Amino acid sequence: MLEINNHFKRRKHEKTIIIFIVAALVLISLIVWAVNAQLSGNIQEILMVAGVLIVVGFAIFRGWVRVRSSQRKEPVEDELSKGVMTKASSLSYYISIYLWLFLMYISDKTKMEKDTLIGAGILGMAIIFFLSWIGIKLIGLKNE
Amino acid sequence: MNNRIKELRARFNLSQLELAQQVGVRRETIVFLEKGKYNPSLKLAYDISRVFNQPIEEIFLFEN
Repeated sequence: MLEINNHFKRRKHEKTIIIFIVAALVLISLIVWAVNAQLSGNIQEILMVAGVLIVVGFAIFRGWVRVRSSQRKEPVEDELSKGVMTKASSLSYYISIYLWLFLMYISDKTKMEKDTLIGAGILGMAIIFFLSWIGIKLIGLKNE
Repeated sequence: MNNRIKELRARFNLSQLELAQQVGVRRETIVFLEKGKYNPSLKLAYDISRVFNQPIEEIFLFEN
């Protein structure tokens, strides 16, 4: 039983480390891209950088909350945090369908590159998830 | 659904963190419960009722 408990604790720490590693990788990629791409500073680039920074900031915040909970000897995840994540995931998936429909419509009307549209879609999904998570945190999760 | 967690916590002189640690959840969950922003699972409601040594229906009050 103790071994199973240790296994779960180890897995939760691994998850926290993975969150920080992925956030660091995304941040490094963004910096490398910004240095190599010789940015012109147009609105599209600014929105993209801001979007990535919001998503990375959110990931770092989630990681920090997990570390803080661990230091307080609280569980890093419980029924509320899992419920919020589940509801935010389902809500953001539902909204993302409309985002992709909108992007398909845009792709027919404009001459944007496919890579740019896919990038915008992925980034948009991440931002929608972030906003859904904040919304559920503010409203609460009553399950009624 | 309303609850008397805040009142009972004060009576038992427990902080939110202490109650959270006793029932195995994060402090934030206790904050959400006290604000009425979250309805607990049956297990959590049962664990809280055991800490306060009171029946569930006297802690969690259902409204029609």
